[in-house]
Amino acid sequence: MDHRFQVSLRGVIDLLSHHLYSSPGVYVRELLQNATDAIRARQLLEPGHTGTVRLELMEKQDGSPPTLLFSDDGVGLTEEEIHRFLATIGESSKREVLAARRNDFIGQFGIGLLSCFMVCDELLVVTRSARGDGRTLEWRGRHDGTYAVRESEHPLDRPGTQVFLMSRPDTTEWFTPERLRHLARHYGGLLPFPVQLTAGGRTERLNPDGPPWRHEYESVSERRKALLAYGRDVFGTDFIDCIPLRSTAGDVDGVAFVLPASPHFNARQKHRVYLKHMLLSESAENLLPEWAFFVKCVVNANALRPTASRESFYEDESLALAREALGQCLRKYLVELAHEDPRALQRLIALHGLSVKALALDDDDFYRLVVNWLPFETSLGVMTLADYRRAHPVVRYTPTLDGFRQVARVAGAQGLCIINAAYTHDAALLEKLPQVVPDAQVERFSAADLPQSFEELTLDEREAVFPLVRMAERVLAPFRCGVVVKKFFPAEVPTLYSADAEGTFRRDAERARDESDDLYAGVLEGMMAAAGGDQAQLCFNLHNPVVRRLAAVADRELLKLSVEMLYVQALLLGHHPLNAQEMALLNQGLLGLISAQLGDGGGEGNEGGGGSGSRGFH
Amino acid sequence: MSDWREQAQQLWERADGLEPGEAKVRLLEEAVRLADAHSDTSMGYMLRDALIDAATFGGFPDKALVAFAWCRGQQKKDPKRFDPEGMLWKQKWVVGRIKEFPHITRKQISDALNDMEQCFAAADAGRRSVLKLRYGAAREMGDTAEAERLWAAWLETPRDHLTDCRACELDDELDHHVDRGEWELALRKARPILEGRQGCAEIPHLTYGTLLYPLFKLDDLKQARELHRRGYPMVAKNREFLATVGEHLEFLALTDNLSRGLTLLEKHLGWALEHPSYRDRFTFYTAAAFLLERVLAEGGRDVVSLRLPKSFPDYRADCGYEVKTLHTWVHGQASDIAARFDRRNGTDRFARLLARNQVLASEVRPFTIDSTQ
Repeated sequence: MDHRFQVSLRGVIDLLSHHLYSSPGVYVRELLQNATDAIRARQLLEPGHTGTVRLELMEKQDGSPPTLLFSDDGVGLTEEEIHRFLATIGESSKREVLAARRNDFIGQFGIGLLSCFMVCDELLVVTRSARGDGRTLEWRGRHDGTYAVRESEHPLDRPGTQVFLMSRPDTTEWFTPERLRHLARHYGGLLPFPVQLTAGGRTERLNPDGPPWRHEYESVSERRKALLAYGRDVFGTDFIDCIPLRSTAGDVDGVAFVLPASPHFNARQKHRVYLKHMLLSESAENLLPEWAFFVKCVVNANALRPTASRESFYEDESLALAREALGQCLRKYLVELAHEDPRALQRLIALHGLSVKALALDDDDFYRLVVNWLPFETSLGVMTLADYRRAHPVVRYTPTLDGFRQVARVAGAQGLCIINAAYTHDAALLEKLPQVVPDAQVERFSAADLPQSFEELTLDEREAVFPLVRMAERVLAPFRCGVVVKKFFPAEVPTLYSADAEGTFRRDAERARDESDDLYAGVLEGMMAAAGGDQAQLCFNLHNPVVRRLAAVADRELLKLSVEMLYVQALLLGHHPLNAQEMALLNQGLLGLISAQLGDGGGEGNEGGGGSGSRGFH
Repeated sequence: MSDWREQAQQLWERADGLEPGEAKVRLLEEAVRLADAHSDTSMGYMLRDALIDAATFGGFPDKALVAFAWCRGQQKKDPKRFDPEGMLWKQKWVVGRIKEFPHITRKQISDALNDMEQCFAAADAGRRSVLKLRYGAAREMGDTAEAERLWAAWLETPRDHLTDCRACELDDELDHHVDRGEWELALRKARPILEGRQGCAEIPHLTYGTLLYPLFKLDDLKQARELHRRGYPMVAKNREFLATVGEHLEFLALTDNLSRGLTLLEKHLGWALEHPSYRDRFTFYTAAAFLLERVLAEGGRDVVSLRLPKSFPDYRADCGYEVKTLHTWVHGQASDIAARFDRRNGTDRFARLLARNQVLASEVRPFTIDSTQ
């Protein structure tokens, strides 16, 4: 060989295979890319030129490794261009150079050829330029960095480029007809000119005629059927619908497929994207707006920039505009569903409610359109917002599941309809309602609001429970808990404990303080002293038989003990863990009640005092 | 009674699938309460471990502190069962933010830092992490000389297995240069972040906000606009980034994009009203005050329409707010917080930060953000 590169090609090839390429199979992609670029360049010179890419696998009779002939009838290279691509290879040990050169035709050509050294030790490139003097040139290069350029002894009769790859004994797996068919289809399946494979004496065309979403179909339903079949082919999923995609920005078109099941929350879908009809990535994530995680798509972009790793598109203004436009396509689909097939929209909401809700949050018009169809869980069962508002003029909701649990049963029993808005986006969606629908009234609801809906006591009842109220107030003051007595349903519920968010946080902080060391206990004391919020409240239910009897108890000790126990019980029923002080109350209280039951003769610990109806064992 | 365990497990799993934020924190809190109600200390510890993460990255540093305090208690009682070493990373987060509550005393802050230093030493970790936090505390409390000394000590100390990731450390270093007006240096250092070579859960989100003012000062408004456009969506949905939203707000006011600024104000005021970090509230209110000053200076508009949350004390159903009154209110909030911090710290750092608005007013330079090509 006549020349040698100043860099170690082995090193460059290692760099490529470890950092740029996921598998040696990408050599097919690189050669397809080179051929595509060459054909496009020739089409510019000669409008109307179709172009064809041919892969010919020459298997040897003697069982030695096969040779692949990869040829195109593109623009070909002049001698000066050959020297430019060689220069690129010479500089290719620098990663930055690699990335930068990919964007120009000649640079890409050289880098593409380099990738072939992942599967072979020797390359022969034979080329005739459509712009040159008609000579055919050849370049023979070896992986050790030696190469030679000369005029070919076998001139080509038309412009184009042929690349001969001599397989190594250890890489023959990349040179089987099945592999080549698969790889060429994978990377070049959407190319708008024929890609042919010849092997074992047979020639076949590997790609259909351009992307299936651009084909003409007999009818809308034929189109839908064909595209869904294509979707199944690409992603292995039976999608429920397909949506055309189109963006002028970035010159993007394609199809989005509606997933048949809810994806994991906010999981960004991985899309298959083609750049100028060559596969760029099967896992591009940044193509659609965030809310659109209910679809997977296949798109081709002619004017978006790929990232250096060629895994997705570069985040720039064009991509932002394209994303916006593709989002509009999906939005249009949803809007049409709302107008033309509301039942289908409801099915879609049942499946992909999160996407629909996220879009509604960002888009007022869309919100107006769909909000009434959205289903919500309420204390009276699941219903759409439209049904809710028909029956209840004021929309009331709890923003947390805990809050909902605390009120659901009692609220339901009073006929109060409360929405559980603990699910993602629900609270924000409801808060938006009055901004978009001017006459709507929306209120946050918590256990503390429940007593307002309860029946007030009569004057006589008020007098009758007065001693109970006074005692309860005194007992519960150290717990920062106030007292009211009302009448509510269900009657089995004797008391209802309620605290606002600050109050609940204070309880959490108290428990942490009880458990922690001096340092952090002190810090938490500081936090609690600064915290605001109303005090908690214990509401007694005079419909409850025990509470009625309690109001009549004269024994102050027994009254005190009962109030303490009802307080602790209300906390436990409301899922409020007890702090150390309350735990002590529970323990002493239980003993006290047992002791009261045992009566005076029960033993020395007689704090409970003589209760009514003692049946002591003697 | 395994029913509650299943329930707690479900809450945990649901939380696991969520992005950082209020919903995630609430689910974990609920699970913690279940474990506490059943006196299951191990479960309570595991769940709080997750809660500290969720609260730290979801904008609830107070809840992270409470959860950590509980865990710290368990570690002290039974270090074999609850190994403090497993929670050193989280201790760093919690202690790093403790200064943001004005009701925590200087002594408590320094005790917490000392406690952390001992914990790290016991785990054979280097001093770099604690030095960074000491530097941060001194800087925030206005102990300028001490901060200078600690800055050098921090960066001289070798990295170790408990040091924050490179991207986070780099981002923290930028603050120092911005404090000193070293705009070019800040940008040069930020390059690995800007070029996407370094990043993590909160970087570049925070960095983009930090660099807006340096870029503005260097008259590189195009890049500033780019960072605003890319950075704001990153922080717009998580109240953890309230202060960064404030930086974007300030930038909008500086470049005379008042309408855009008011949209940010109405959207994020709700966070500020109840944000546990008074530090973050301060940044937001200060920027909001500056924005409203610009609206007043522009003249001709006494009332603006804003969709403020109902929790706003002067909430109006008709959405019409007098600019002057609104300005008085947000400025009042900022100066109250400043006074509380300065009283606690015994310095005037926050009063000076608030006074910076007057400097900004003289620097305003209109530059269009909206582009609809």
